[in-house]
Amino acid sequence: MSTLLKFERVNAFYGAAHILHDMSLEIAAGERVALIGRNGVGKTTCVNTLLGVASLRGGSIAIGGSGLKKPRPYVAAGLGVAVVPQGRGIVANLSVEENLILGTAAGRKGHWTVPRIYELFPILRERAHTPGTALSGGQQQMLAIGRALMSNPALVILDEPTEGLAPVIVDQLATIFNQVADLGTALLLIEQNLSLVERVAHRYYAMAKGAVIGQGPVNAAVMHELKEHVVA
Amino acid sequence: MLSINIFNGLVYGALLVVMSSGLALIYGLRRVVNFAHGSLYMLGAYLGYTVASHTNFWVAQVAVPLLMGLLGLALDRFAFRPLQDRDPLTVILVTFGLLLVLEDLVQTVWGKSNLSVPAPDLLSASVDLFGMSVPAYRIAVIFFGLVVAGALTLWLRYSKMGLFVRAASTEPTITSMQGVNVDRLSGLVVAVGTALAGLAGIIAAPFLSLSPSMSSDVIIDSFVVVVTGGLGSLSGAFAAALLLGQVQAVGAVYLPEFATVLPYVLMMAVLLWRPAGFAGNRV
Repeated sequence: MSTLLKFERVNAFYGAAHILHDMSLEIAAGERVALIGRNGVGKTTCVNTLLGVASLRGGSIAIGGSGLKKPRPYVAAGLGVAVVPQGRGIVANLSVEENLILGTAAGRKGHWTVPRIYELFPILRERAHTPGTALSGGQQQMLAIGRALMSNPALVILDEPTEGLAPVIVDQLATIFNQVADLGTALLLIEQNLSLVERVAHRYYAMAKGAVIGQGPVNAAVMHELKEHVVA
Repeated sequence: MLSINIFNGLVYGALLVVMSSGLALIYGLRRVVNFAHGSLYMLGAYLGYTVASHTNFWVAQVAVPLLMGLLGLALDRFAFRPLQDRDPLTVILVTFGLLLVLEDLVQTVWGKSNLSVPAPDLLSASVDLFGMSVPAYRIAVIFFGLVVAGALTLWLRYSKMGLFVRAASTEPTITSMQGVNVDRLSGLVVAVGTALAGLAGIIAAPFLSLSPSMSSDVIIDSFVVVVTGGLGSLSGAFAAALLLGQVQAVGAVYLPEFATVLPYVLMMAVLLWRPAGFAGNRV
């Protein structure tokens, strides 16, 4: 399996604050990986370092085998790594459909088109011409996922996609994540909801204080253990 | 009497459309309050004078925006982009400094006396419009304003790049994450905005005379338009430009002693009614 994304002993900072300490992780094509840990351990900072929002001052990040010298927000999408950001990041002055079209900016052709996203999320077709932020929280999450898929990524990073959503919506999203992964797209699921992790991911990394403190395959026993020690 | 004033208000409004759309675009993407915009307009007019005197008006109308667009690219690359993370006041001071440099440059190169650019032969006659005799060139100015407003609207509404510009105006980081190089896009938009200032200059040259102080009136009116329309909003700026043109023209007839304060009264009234301007905060 070829490696899609590799963090090797990454040290990252916000200004003078040292957030990631020798953080390493690796995701291969088609894998379903979860990144778990409490609030403030540096999960989102991993995403922000990949995007160049937090500054990378040690170690290396590589996408598809080629190292990113100076990460920039617009680079990852073009190389096949799409991010569904925490808080969804729907653009308020664009319609639902325009938010989806924004996802094509990376210029990667493939399976996903606007009609295919509408098949995956029929509600988005109904609301195609309303402003993106007029949708409910769950629908906005669907839009953010649809927009990420529009770049036909090899890997989708989902940063706390179920935060603040009702359990019934979470169940719906779990099904969607598995459908997307079944098409061969790798997932990196950043989550605190371990029951979702158990339903979607095959492998996990657990983080504390800006570094990986445990990793391995996902199963019920391991998740039960992690619930007590890593997340709770 | 009144109808000719309404007509002249429309002409001035059309000029403000071209001026303020550039100002609104630059603010929309770079969040730069560009005090030099009026001086860029003046530079466009003087460049137009030189180009037109060696060739003709129509060549100037194409060449000046192109030259000014290149200047805009340089302005973004060497001023706005390196300063984008600084205090907005720093950037305002830099644009104010640019204003002083440009005014001095124009006086050094072209002198302090008033110059004029003749209207092109095709438009030099007067024509009859609803019983009024008006210079054909002024009708053309209204037409130029409509073309600019129409072209910008089509570009922003219906092209993919226009969609990226609208997205980047409210969510630069999110837009960037989708694969848009927002810095490069902003550079292009600053170039378009600067080209529009130059275009406004060459459009104004045949009906307002060229002088080193020509920028001050129009820049203040343009700021009034952009703030009244809603900072960074184009459709708001179009509406506000036409309204301000009328307020100026009609005010000059009925309230001549208050004519100079009317734009501010308009701005205050609109901002009291809608604090974010006509269109709020969208391109």
